[in-house]
Amino acid sequence: MRVLILGCSRIGVGLAQRLDLAGHTVTIVDPEPAALARLPASFGGRQLSGHVLDRRVLEEASIEHQDALAAVTPNDDVNIVAARLARLAFHVPRVVARLYSPRAATLYQQLGIQTVCTTTWGINRITELLSYAELEPVASIGTGVELLDAPLPPLLVGRPVSALARPGELQVVAISRDGRTFLPHPESRFESGDRLHLVVAAGATDHLVDLLRH
Amino acid sequence: MRIMIIGGGAVGSYLAGLLLQQGHHVTIIEIRETAMATLRLTAPGAQCLLGSGTDPELLEAAGVHLADTVVAVTGTDETNLVITSLARFAFDAPRVVARVNNPHNSWMFTPTMGVDFALNQADLLAHLIAETIPSPPAQRLSEPSTGGDGG
Repeated sequence: MRVLILGCSRIGVGLAQRLDLAGHTVTIVDPEPAALARLPASFGGRQLSGHVLDRRVLEEASIEHQDALAAVTPNDDVNIVAARLARLAFHVPRVVARLYSPRAATLYQQLGIQTVCTTTWGINRITELLSYAELEPVASIGTGVELLDAPLPPLLVGRPVSALARPGELQVVAISRDGRTFLPHPESRFESGDRLHLVVAAGATDHLVDLLRH
Repeated sequence: MRIMIIGGGAVGSYLAGLLLQQGHHVTIIEIRETAMATLRLTAPGAQCLLGSGTDPELLEAAGVHLADTVVAVTGTDETNLVITSLARFAFDAPRVVARVNNPHNSWMFTPTMGVDFALNQADLLAHLIAETIPSPPAQRLSEPSTGGDGG
């Protein structure tokens, strides 16, 4: 995949490095040559020094031929504008913008820009770590569905996966067992030590907690 | 008409004063507290709100839904473009006008970004100034190209 990264911030450097190692064709743009200098010597992608909203710079970065774009500059407004332009003017199929403002993140998601709000993520993760809970939120899918992890309660050992399914409310999507994760059949049976990965509709979390406690 | 101006600096406050004189209802959003006092003097009849014009909650509280025209005249182009996108695509503003600060950024001020009218201050000024300068005496042109450009 050809990926264009706008902004050689810490997140930009890390992303560039990881995608480059994974064999993707990476181009990274930043106005500051000093920022680009933070890339490791092993980075095999292309580096461009220039303003990320400058049309000539974007064209030099072959934005029209990219499969994906990540806007990760430290400026929310720049990231939003870059993401919208990439999507609508240059037809980049997959575009993600990093935002600091949680309020804006949800709205832009509704406007068709995939956003990652590092602030919200940080808050959620720190809250989880500070208050141990049986249910560990992994991700939100849109606004109405949560992906959660939970250890299998002993009382469900030997029961079929279908025992923990409520159509429209919750479903076990994967099970981790002995270092391996797989997608279960409804008739698969839970085993002791299983870690469950569940999708739960917003509002049904209490229901799930009840099921796991019985 | 109800006009919402985002950016209460020199351009925004002057525009607000002008529109108020014409009898329009004007709301201004300005992020710098220091600019608020000046704003109250230059546009005393305007409703002034302190905060970020890219904050959807503030725009909503300021009545963006009721505005006939939203004008984004902050000094930062990307901020103006975020405002125009929000105004058009999240709040259905009927008319959206934006200021282009850096002429190199004018390519982004299109209907795709929610902009109906983009005013490129530097470009306008440069052309007006250029018009005041007499043309140089006619010079012999190089050989016309045979292909032509059709125009």
